[in-house]
Amino acid sequence: MIESDGVSDAVPSSQLKDHLTIFVNGKRHMVRGLDAFRPLTDWLRYDLHLTGTKVVCAEGDCGSCTVMIGRGVDGRIAYAPVCGCIQYLLQLDGAHVVTIEGLKYAGGLNPVQQAFVECHGAQCGFCTPGFVVAVHSLLEPSSEAIDACAVKRSLTGNLCRCTGYEPILNAVEGVDRAAVQSVDALFPPETILEEMTAAAREGVLIAAGGRSFFKPVTIRQAVEFRAGNPGCAIIAGGTDLGVQMNKGMRTPMSILSTAALPDWQWLDVSNDAITFAGGVTLSVVQDVLREEIAECAEFLEWFGSPQIRNAGTLAGNLANASPIGDMLPPLMVLDAEIILTGATCERAVSINDFYTGYRQTVMRNDELITGVRVPRPAEGDVFRLYKVSKRKDLDISTFSAAVWMQMCGGQIIDCRLAYGGVGPTVVRLRKTEALLRGRPLDDETLDELQETVLSEITPISDVRGSDSYRNLLAVNVLRRLALEMASGDAGSSKPV
Amino acid sequence: MSYVGKNIPHDSAAGHAAGESVFLDDVPPMHGEVFVGIVGSPVARGRVQSLDLAAARNMPGVVGLYTHKDVPGSNRFGPVVHDEDLLVVDEAQFIGHPIVVIAAKSREVLAAARRAVRLEMEELDPVLSIERAITLEQFLSPLRKIERGDVDRALAAAPHSLEGVFDIGGQEHFYLESQIGIVVPGENRTFTVHSSTQHTSEVQALVAEVLGVPFNHVNCICKRMGGGFGGKETQAAQPAMLAALAAYHLNRPARFAYSKDDDMRFTGKRHPFKVFWRAGFDGDGSILAADFKLYSDGGCSTDLSMAVMERALLHADNAYFIPNFRATGRVCKTNLPSNTAFRGFGGPQGVAAIENLIEDVAVAAKIDALDVRQSNVYRAGHDETPYRQRVGNNTLPELFAKLRLDCSYDARRREIDRYNAHSRSHIKGLSLTAVKFGISFTRKALNQGNALVNIYTDGSVVVSTGATEMGQGVNTRLRQIAADELGVTYERVIVTATSTEKNNNTSPTAASSGTDLNGFAVIDACQTLRERLSEVARRLFAEHDPSGGDVATPLNDEPCGILFSQGSVSRSGSAGPGIAFTKLVQRAYEDRVDLGARGFYFTPDIGFDKETGEGSPFYYFTNGVACSEVLIDRFTGELRVSRVDLLMDIGESINPGIDRGQITGAFVQGMGWVTAEELKYSDKGVLLSYSPTTYKIPNISDLPDVFNVALLPNDACVQSIKRSKAVGEPPLLLGFSVFAAVKDALRSLAGQRVELALPATHERIALAIARIAVSNQPVATSASR
Ligand SMILES: Cc1cc2nc3c(=O)[nH]c(=O)nc-3n(C[C@H](O)[C@H](O)[C@H](O)COP(=O)(O)OP(=O)(O)OC[C@H]3O[C@@H](n4cnc5c(N)ncnc54)[C@H](O)[C@@H]3O)c2cc1C
Ligand code: FES
Ligand code: FES
Repeated sequence: MIESDGVSDAVPSSQLKDHLTIFVNGKRHMVRGLDAFRPLTDWLRYDLHLTGTKVVCAEGDCGSCTVMIGRGVDGRIAYAPVCGCIQYLLQLDGAHVVTIEGLKYAGGLNPVQQAFVECHGAQCGFCTPGFVVAVHSLLEPSSEAIDACAVKRSLTGNLCRCTGYEPILNAVEGVDRAAVQSVDALFPPETILEEMTAAAREGVLIAAGGRSFFKPVTIRQAVEFRAGNPGCAIIAGGTDLGVQMNKGMRTPMSILSTAALPDWQWLDVSNDAITFAGGVTLSVVQDVLREEIAECAEFLEWFGSPQIRNAGTLAGNLANASPIGDMLPPLMVLDAEIILTGATCERAVSINDFYTGYRQTVMRNDELITGVRVPRPAEGDVFRLYKVSKRKDLDISTFSAAVWMQMCGGQIIDCRLAYGGVGPTVVRLRKTEALLRGRPLDDETLDELQETVLSEITPISDVRGSDSYRNLLAVNVLRRLALEMASGDAGSSKPV
Repeated sequence: MSYVGKNIPHDSAAGHAAGESVFLDDVPPMHGEVFVGIVGSPVARGRVQSLDLAAARNMPGVVGLYTHKDVPGSNRFGPVVHDEDLLVVDEAQFIGHPIVVIAAKSREVLAAARRAVRLEMEELDPVLSIERAITLEQFLSPLRKIERGDVDRALAAAPHSLEGVFDIGGQEHFYLESQIGIVVPGENRTFTVHSSTQHTSEVQALVAEVLGVPFNHVNCICKRMGGGFGGKETQAAQPAMLAALAAYHLNRPARFAYSKDDDMRFTGKRHPFKVFWRAGFDGDGSILAADFKLYSDGGCSTDLSMAVMERALLHADNAYFIPNFRATGRVCKTNLPSNTAFRGFGGPQGVAAIENLIEDVAVAAKIDALDVRQSNVYRAGHDETPYRQRVGNNTLPELFAKLRLDCSYDARRREIDRYNAHSRSHIKGLSLTAVKFGISFTRKALNQGNALVNIYTDGSVVVSTGATEMGQGVNTRLRQIAADELGVTYERVIVTATSTEKNNNTSPTAASSGTDLNGFAVIDACQTLRERLSEVARRLFAEHDPSGGDVATPLNDEPCGILFSQGSVSRSGSAGPGIAFTKLVQRAYEDRVDLGARGFYFTPDIGFDKETGEGSPFYYFTNGVACSEVLIDRFTGELRVSRVDLLMDIGESINPGIDRGQITGAFVQGMGWVTAEELKYSDKGVLLSYSPTTYKIPNISDLPDVFNVALLPNDACVQSIKRSKAVGEPPLLLGFSVFAAVKDALRSLAGQRVELALPATHERIALAIARIAVSNQPVATSASR
């Protein structure tokens, strides 16, 4: 599907660059014209002949394409592993891409590579470069002890079909950590940071072959462009859009990047809420919430993989408006606000009023999500999140649920329930909520309310699960919660 | 000093870790190279009604469009039976069945051209399930049978009997590197084929046949694969053939590379099976009779389905002596891509059939399933298989007994019973299952291998065989073997790319036999060279020291009393310094001695009559046992494998590190097959789980929390290479212990036998628990409506 659109005249193109500046393994490259619309891995493999980075799935689901992407943040370069296959070059203006080739130390193999060799961490070798990059980033100089669980969590984005992972874990354990160098030691920031930061800040307009790419530097430019180009795609982390483009589901003729918008990474933690600006990645959200709303941070552990969370944004997840978007149910029961900025005004909309239908929102054509305000649950509130998927890690929800309840003396005073994967949008179970108020959450209540729960959802059967399974889960998560509360442990899904 | 038995890193490990190992799609396109792709059938069964290539043809950068009419040789192909059309002639047989081949100057143009082809199909009624094929009696093969005793009588006479139906799902290989072939035309209608294949000789033959040129015009080369698992045994040929077609017509290099999505959608998988079984047993769990009717889904053509079925039948006894035994098998023809080899090759389905039966028999007999297994295991006096082969070097009873103790089976069983009686949120299950895997191809001719060993005048050595490297480490093992045999250091030997020019008429690298067949051939070649070099050495030593020891008398088993070790050559029994291997080689060259040799090997003492179902198909058996414990969420069906203890008998390991990696990798792959790897199709036969987004292989976090892998010491497998046992496939079959543990957990909840199809997805487990809840209580707690 081709969405056609020209470039708005409103943008003063004289102040804009017509190219991207991307660093790869310390070397500067200029990218012009249609090349901007290519995936990073194609460019690395076919143009720069850096074939160590592999492509398997081209959809972020295997990690073979893992590269480090560094961006200038507060006067230093912050690196994070991401999936190169769903990063498009137009996302990388001012970024430093470090590939497996760039991680070679002067003396030869780096200590991570050495350990992979010695511990049989590679069999066919196709997944190995991706693993090495991910492990190297995990083990960057730090005195912090890393336990086996942390190692596993940091590698959920990398699939291996040969080794059964055990040898890979042995390799990680076998790394001579003292010998691991930081990426900064390999590529001193002095030489590139300034140029990176400058490039990242600059506005860009590329028009080629009927396609256009615009990277504005003010919200006003952005929303005006958006208004003038109704078919344009907004790109943030690209973890949704990149997949759609790779799989030919979408070929937007014009693309708007939010990367250079001011204060785009801003966040604020106050007593009653945490507010994230439009560009905050899920990794940052998770880091912040670990202190603030632990249940939500833990839940984010099962959102994609580290690579996906390092690129994907919270705003993107909400804007994408998928019925299985994982951040929607928790934010709905916390009654989060979405801040929308348009050409003329800014407004805050409750997330509970944001979605109008399958992938439909109240966001207007001239608006952007510029912030998300997440109220903190009060002390003593019950706040529980569930995600059921075919595989625990790196999988999309078959079913998800968020439950928030205010309790008093074993009775529910107030509550909100939101389910994902049971209809065209994430669903608030308002009838059930009303009937729950004033009652305890126990089997008796649930026996009575079961039909109400089921009446509020319309699950279908698809590749991720059948309608009967989803119906079963819709009731069972509440039964499970009732059991946990009865046994005085409402805070975990540990065996009871 | 010996390299065999040492833990040496994989031959390519450094390159893999550095990202420098070259896989086929890493090779930059050659001058003039074209990118080749297909437009395949959008329907599972149908006829082409209209095909309009004009738009694609007129696209700048499109250089060739071909249909079946452009195939110069044979359009019909197959590894055994030629019963699949490479390009649709009359009727498309599966979704993705190639109809048009497109060659373009770039990947982008190719993608656009594929979209520009206008194709209309008349849709015919497809057959998409084993059940439907059985009803229609649509089979790809004659019935195969293995039988001993009078099964019907024994079943009727048995004190207890049980029957069931067991559905076993297929499995996607998910090798990370998708299928790819690059064909470079040479002069005089010769072709060099670079293929990511487990079977260079077959790709050579099929490319030659499709082009209508003799085999000697095609050289197929495989440096390495990014994983194979059986998926590249026969089906690497299609990309090579399709690229060859373009190379033939255009006289330009041509590359065909599947995307992962297309590879998953359009290529074959592990065969799904449907098993109808009956068992007769007595009160103490002795199985007196077992009857299996196996049906597999072969897909649209025969491919290797017959051999897969035969291996399934030959493994339906697994580790157990069953006096009255019958297993019959039929391969169903359906409208899916032809199903093919996958690690285990039917063995896993056969073993699943009987291990599942045992779980159910144990419940019925109210005996612990492990006791049932141990009381029926092959043992002295009860060691003849239903196909009349004796189970030699039988380590099975010892494996069972040892693991039972080592993993504290009995204490944990009691612990789990207590846990299940109390826990309202979770249930646990425990099961210990076995594998007895027959080593050898069931097709006798394939049990041969040849090797070429060349020594260069600087003393360096190149080895090549028909074995292909897919990560399993065969090249490393062959290097170790050659270094030992020639008495040179490991570094002096390399194993080069597999090529039909160096090694002809080779067998696929499959059936776990890569090291066995090719390693023995390497030994044979090295022995020839050593004999020749010993001659030269004797002359040399005599010249230098005419009064020296009597070198003509062989000492030990060294030919002519000449010892080759670590790059130096000496006289046995003589304390004097030897000479450098390199020196000897140079002298041999001067003396005009041939420094290259071919080695050959065929597996002795095997033979099996498929018609009667009797014989000794296997050279030996690789055995193992595994005990798995699972934790299941009673509300969601979510499954966690909390502990696995695995004990394998792989004889004397040639490379313990590599072998351990084969064990963990195979086990986890088997665990994936029986748990989350579910192939889902639409009712039109469209594969819905066609990428890692929807098809879930095990993730690092799915590793068992505790994973103990141990080897049983066994130096008695004297007939096999360096007393080692093949290891590539057998541990995969132990993955079944996870499924059996799930059944055990459900049994403890239900108090009776629970039917469960494989794989045991969270969903299937949850729905099974819901059914149990309904049948256990009058008040429904199930929410399904
Ligand atoms: C391998 C993989 C695993 C994944 N796992 C999960 C998962 O477990 N759970 C889950 O919920 N999702 C998952 N996703 C989906 C995806 O990662 C999330 O939806 C992510 O949050 C999207 O953010 P992004 O910044 O990458 O969005 P983009 O892809 O950049 O954009 C997504 C959409 O949001 C719009 N958009 C982005 N920013 C704004 C803005 N500021 N204002 C208005 N519109 C905007 C874009 O126009 C676009 O339509 C996964 C994706 C992949 C590839
Ligand atoms: S190629 Fe699979 S994640 Fe990028
Ligand atoms: S080593 Fe082959 S996929 Fe990991």
